[in-house]
Order: sequence, then structure tokens, then C-alpha cells
Amino acid sequence: MGRRSWSTIFALIVSLGWSVSNAGERLVVYAVNYPLHYFAQRIAGEFAEVIMPVPPGVDPAFWQPDATAIGEFQRADIILLNGAGYAKWVSRVSLPRRKMVDTSAGFSQHHIETEGSQTHSHGREGDHSHAGTAFTTWLDFRQAVEQAKAVRDALSRLAPERGEVFADNFLELERDLLELDERLEAIVSRDPEKPLFASHPVYQYLERRYSLNLESVFWEPDVMAPKIEWQGLVQLQEGHPADWMLWEDEPSIENRQRLLQLGVQSAVFDPCANRPQAGDFLSVMSNNIANLKRVFAQ
Amino acid sequence: MIRIDSVDFTYPAAEFRLRIPAFQVAPGEKVAVIGPSGSGKTTLLNLVAGILVPQQGRVECSDVEVSALSDRQRRDFRISTIGFVFQDFGLLDYLDVLDNILHPYRITGALRLTDEIKMRAADLARRMGIGDKLRQRIDHLSQGEKQRVAICRALLPSPKVVLADEATGNLDPHNKGHILELLFGSVTDHDATLLAVTHDHELLPHFDRVVNFGDFRSAA
Amino acid sequence: MIDSLYIAWRYLASNKVRSATLLACVTLITAVPLVLELLLVESERQLLSRAQSTPLLLGARGSALDLVMNGLYFDDEVPERVSMATVNEVEDSGLAQAIPIYARFQARRFPIVGTTLDYFDFRGLDIAQGRQLALLGEAVIGAEVADRLGITAGDSLLSSPETVFDLAGVYPLKMRVVGVLERAHTPDDLAVFVDVKTAWVVQGLVHGHQDLAQAKDPAVVIDRTDTNVIANARLVEYTEITAENVDSFHFHGNPEQYPLSGVIVVPNDNKSGTILRGRYLEGERPYQLVVPETVIDGLLANIFRIKNVLDAVILVVGIATVLALTLVFALSVRLRQREIQTVFRLGGSRLTIARLLGAEIAITVAASAVLCSVVLLTVHQYTGELVRAIFIK
Repeated sequence: MGRRSWSTIFALIVSLGWSVSNAGERLVVYAVNYPLHYFAQRIAGEFAEVIMPVPPGVDPAFWQPDATAIGEFQRADIILLNGAGYAKWVSRVSLPRRKMVDTSAGFSQHHIETEGSQTHSHGREGDHSHAGTAFTTWLDFRQAVEQAKAVRDALSRLAPERGEVFADNFLELERDLLELDERLEAIVSRDPEKPLFASHPVYQYLERRYSLNLESVFWEPDVMAPKIEWQGLVQLQEGHPADWMLWEDEPSIENRQRLLQLGVQSAVFDPCANRPQAGDFLSVMSNNIANLKRVFAQ
Repeated sequence: MIRIDSVDFTYPAAEFRLRIPAFQVAPGEKVAVIGPSGSGKTTLLNLVAGILVPQQGRVECSDVEVSALSDRQRRDFRISTIGFVFQDFGLLDYLDVLDNILHPYRITGALRLTDEIKMRAADLARRMGIGDKLRQRIDHLSQGEKQRVAICRALLPSPKVVLADEATGNLDPHNKGHILELLFGSVTDHDATLLAVTHDHELLPHFDRVVNFGDFRSAA
Repeated sequence: MIDSLYIAWRYLASNKVRSATLLACVTLITAVPLVLELLLVESERQLLSRAQSTPLLLGARGSALDLVMNGLYFDDEVPERVSMATVNEVEDSGLAQAIPIYARFQARRFPIVGTTLDYFDFRGLDIAQGRQLALLGEAVIGAEVADRLGITAGDSLLSSPETVFDLAGVYPLKMRVVGVLERAHTPDDLAVFVDVKTAWVVQGLVHGHQDLAQAKDPAVVIDRTDTNVIANARLVEYTEITAENVDSFHFHGNPEQYPLSGVIVVPNDNKSGTILRGRYLEGERPYQLVVPETVIDGLLANIFRIKNVLDAVILVVGIATVLALTLVFALSVRLRQREIQTVFRLGGSRLTIARLLGAEIAITVAASAVLCSVVLLTVHQYTGELVRAIFIK
């Protein structure tokens, strides 16, 4: 073997050793949903191992981890929570408080209580159970920036020596999110009163931030809604003449065609709560905005 | 062997005075001392043993002027030269037979307790007929057996003089003669002199001489 | 000397009752103050070390001692409650870490301590068997709890009702034991640890039941509006949290107002601690922030004042005992006059008598010393547990 081959091998061994020794210093960050996972990865870069253990295809908001998964969360250095009642499982498990970061705590006074949610109480004098809270906080991109800030601060607290790196990375992410915010604002401003349908009540923060005129139903993309729902939609359309419905995912052909019969087209605005099959958070949101552009262009 | 000259003894606390102008016992002689109660017979034995010291006069025993010795010397003399047999036996009920026999060897440095002494004690006990009771408690023995233990204790140091104070006083008639026989036999075996105080006139014929403490006249 | 010891030994052995009584008297009068001293020194050590390892304790204004005894040693006396909001307040200050403690309930006479995982890191408690708390309704038990109840990871443990007669009060909750802690030789060995939310389940503030929106049985519903369903007491609440019903468990009211018995406050540094203490010294606030070491120092000072009195009492009793023993001895010597006379007549001296009697005393004292040592060694072996059982628990 020639001298060059030995040098290459030596360099490889050294770099492997360096990354192995450095791997021991990496923070371990667990996130309850994909947006937080994305933010943490963008900000921490190679200095953290970021994990979002929700299996593909499962909505992280309703995922229930088992004891093993909870144990993994417990061993993390940082546990990124969305807040706003996201992931009810968090209130039923034991996690170390000092590792938990509620990324939306900074704007908790602006959380939206969901309409139509029913509480209960025990006895006429009893306290009510909690009403629902809208939890897709990241769909307001300015709020997403706040959440990313909370991620940055948590990382910097634990690894202050990397503070500058985290700050720089955050600034880049902030630029990207604010660009999305700008683009969306510009699109909606063309026709702010345009009535729209939402297939599921997951766009509350999007609606509020960008002043969308949105009415929601409770439909799933891949499930044909029952007849009574269609009747309801027709009635809703009388007062809210929307010609577009936003879906979390591609609707079934049946749903799409049936909607067309009612003069309603379908567009996808994926909340991206879980890891996308292709692309990343930014690309998914860009696609969402492009879809909305089509909606508002017509 | 025993010689008393012009002894005048008074008990300090009591009004008792004993005067013995002269008294002698030859070596190997077995002498009985009789007399009324309170006449000083036990005091005589105590003077000979060096337990008491006369205010005047001289007490000589085994060629030693006992009355001139110090306290310590008298104790050492007593333990090595005198064998005492008491009416109440003087045994310790928390020691067994053998330990009682060996008792003098444990209470003074003048006698050394060796394995040989222990063997002699066992042998002595056997000759006294209590060889099989060496490890028995004293309170399990009869009166006669107890007195035999006392005799063994008195004779173990091979004393030159054996003083017996009513040695058969607490024994039944059957045992008295037997014990006296054993005592006499042991004294003879050890070439010792015997001075015995007794109230029992039936035993007098066994002695070489009888001294009446009332008038110091000896009766052969 | 050996001979004197031999005779003395034979005398003592043949008077067993007398000798045993003497031995017991001497041993007791010697051992009791020493044992007391040992226990008090150990209790001081335990109380102090626990207190010294806890920088600050936050609780409702009132008895600082009750607060410390409940917060550190899980004593039965539960102080006035504070709310969960105090934990958030401390943490929001950025000056300290706050660890909630809710030690109100019991399970088979062992305290149930509701807290968070941070408590285990703070106290350096490791799992010996099983795993750490993960899900609502789980419990991790101290080593002594496991030994005494004979339970281990995988078993269950029922919380005890607060009072037998309060039928409308706290229901027993069947908790799943998932882990056993390594022995720590602290009050943690005697505790049943649960997540603080599980403690609230025990209290009934958090509970699970069928979904009332779907409830078909009209007997459990008092009234129903568009936004609220009012259920009555017929509605059965779950007394065990399982994988099937855990999703139904929910909070009523504001969790920030949920109760705690105390909050362990771990300042970031001395300066932070001083600032925090200053904040809570204000008279209007219904809280107190105490330094456990100071509180325990005060308690120990009281204990040792009492101990001084006890010492004086023991001293007097000891003197009386010695006098009594001396009298017994003197009477015994008088009873042995004949024996003493025999010794004199045989050739023994006063010194001989003194040696014999002295040997008896020496043997008695030596035997007593041995017994005392055995007692002290035994007590020393179990001092930790004895102290916890007598003084702390």
C-alpha cells in the first residue's frame, strides 16, 4: 500500500476519533413534534442529537408513548414541548421539570381557546374541566420564531460555549420563518375577506395571524364524510360562500370530486406536525404557501 | 513442740483474761484440752496458731516464738505450720470438695498450688473415703463427710501442728469415733502434733494426755 | 490474683440470681446513658445531614418545624398547603430550581411523597430494581418499604383513605410499583414516591371517568348545556390508572392552584439564595422560605437541653444505684463473716479478703463492660433505623 493510502487511512482514523469524542459532548434533545425538531436541528446543528420519536404517520398531538419511550425522554438533556395543551400525554407522565422547555410559554396569554369544546363539572359547584386549546402554534410564523427562540435559549443555557453558533443559526432560521410570514401576508392581503373552508380545526393561529376568513368542519382527507356533514357544508356555504377547502393532507378523489360538485376546490396546507415523507419543514411550508397562492390567485 | 510460758492475754473489748503460767505439748503428742465453756480453750488454740498475741508471756510452737512474730510472719507461719480443724468445718459452700481442700493454697502466696499438690489432695481425699466426691458441692455432703473435707484441708500443707477445735462437736455419735480415728491416723501419718479442744469425754481415752483447762493439771 | 479471680468466679457462679441482678444493675446504669448518647448523636447527624443537604424550603407561613419535618422527613403532620404556582414563581425568577413536595397521604403507614423526577437527582437516589416513574399512577418505593411490605417492581400498592369515617373523602388509588430505590439510609428508604400529579389523583383533584359527552346513562348527569355537562356523585371514578383509561384522566380547576406541602428550593448560588430569602421575608406574603439547617439546629438545641436534664436525672439515678449496690455488697460481706473468719484463721490477711472481694467486683464490672459493649455494638449497628423509628418517623 502506497504512502498516500496510509495518509488517507490515518486522516480517516483521526477524523473518526474526533467525531467520536465530539459525539460524547453532543446534547440530546427530544421534541414532541416535528416543527420543534426542525427548529432544534437548524439551531443546534452538529452539536445536538435531536430526536422526535413519534412514528411516521401518527399525529404527535395524540401519540401515547409507552414507558420505554418516556424513559428516553427522561434521559434527554432538553425536552422541547409545544405547550398550548399539545400532546396531552405530557400531563400524564413523569418528566424532569428542569429539562422541560415549554416553547410557547412566552406567548401563552395569546393561546386560543377552541370553540365548541365541551367541559364538564362534578356537582353544580364543582370546577370545570379544561376547555380545549388550539395547539398548532407554529402556523403563525411569528409565533414559530418565538418558539425557535425558546429552543435557542434552552440550548445556550446548557451549552453556553456554543452560544454564538446557536445564535447565528437561529438568525438564519428566523430569516427563513419571517420570509414565510411575509410571503403569506402578501398573498392573503390580496383578498383578505376571501371565504375559505378548513377540513379540520387546526388552522386557528394561521387564521388569526393572517386574518383568514375560515370556517372549519371536522373531516379527514382519506375518509368520505357522512351525508349529514355534506348537508351541513351546504348550509354553511350559504352564509360562507367559500370555493376552496384547505386540507391537512391530499384528500381522497371522492372527497375532492364531491367538493367540486359543490363548487369547492381543494388545496393542501399541511401543518407538518410529523416528519414529512419528503423535504423538510421549510419546504413543506413553502409548498403550503404556494398552494395558498393558487387559492388567492383565483 | 508447743510451749507456753507465763502468758497473760486479755480481749480488749471483753472482760476476759486468760493466764497460762506454763503449758507444753511434746512433738507427736496427741493432747486433749477440756474445761468449762468460756474458760479460754479456743483462745489457747488461737494463741498457739498466732491468731492472737498475748500481752505478756511467750508462745512457742515448732521451735518458733510465735508471739514475737509480726502479723505477716504469724500468718505465714500459721498457713505453713498449723492445720486447723473447726467445729463448724469452716468450708465454703460455693466451692466443691477439691477446691475447699485446696483453699489455703489460693488465699496466700506462702503456699504454691501445683499439679502435685492437687494430686496429693485427691490422694488425701481418697484415704479419707471421699475420693469419689471431689467435684461435689459441699451442701450435698453429710456432716461426717464435711469434717473429712476439713481434715484434708488442714493436713494438705503437711502441718507440724494440728489444732482441732471441737472437731467432732457437730457430728453424730456414730461418726465421732470414726472421724477421730481418721484424724488420729492422719496426724500420725504426717508425724504431726495434735492439740484438740473437746467437750466429749467419751473421746478422751483416745488421747495421749488430757489437760483440764480449769487448773492446768494434766491427766495421763 | 488468678486464684482470687477463680474463687470470686466460683462464688458469683454459685449465686446466679444475685450475680445476674448485680450485673443487670451495673450494665443498665452504664449502658442506658451511653445508648442514649449514641442515639442522640446519630439523630443529630441524620437530622443535620438531611437538613444541610437541603438549602431552602418554601412553604405556607406557620410552623417552620412542621414544614421542615414534613418536607424533609415526611412527617405525618402536614403543614398548611402552598400552591403549585409557587414552584413556577421560583423557577420564573431564574434564581433557583424548585422541587415540589406533596407528602400528605399514606400507603400502608408509609408516606406517599408526590414530587418530580428532579427530586431523585437532587437526593442522589438511584433505582435498584425496576425502573423510574414514567406514567401517571406509578410508584417507586424506598428500600425499607420494599423489605417491610415484601413488595417489588410489578406489584401494586393501595393508598390509604385519609380517615375511615370520611366516606366522601379521598378514595384509595391502586398504584403500580415500577421501581425500588437503592438503600439510602435516609427517610427516603421509608417513602413511596409518586409523581406529584399522581398525588393529586389520590386526592381526587385529577381523576378519570367515562367521557360525559358520550355518557348514555341519564342517572349520572344532573344537567347538560352546549358547553358544559354537570355530573353527579353516581359517576364512577377510576381507582386504578391503566393503559386503557389513562387518556381519560384530567384536571379540574387551575393546576397552578393545586396543593403542595412544601417546595425544596435549590438556589443557583449563594447570592441567588440571599435574594430569594429577602423576597420571602416580606410580612404580607403568605409564604415562608426557611433554611432547614437553622430550624433543625433549633430543634437539636431543645433536644439537647432536654438531654441535659435527662443526664442529670440519670446521674442521680446512677448515684442511687451505686449506693444501693454498695449497700448490697456491704450486706453481702456481713453475711459472709464466717467465711472471712475462716480465711483469717487459715492464714489469710485483710489484703486477701480485699483481693477476693475486689475480684468479685472486677468480674462483675468486666462482665458488665462486655455486655455494655455488646449492647452498644448492636445499637450502633441499627442506630440509623432506631433513630428513624424513634425520633424521626
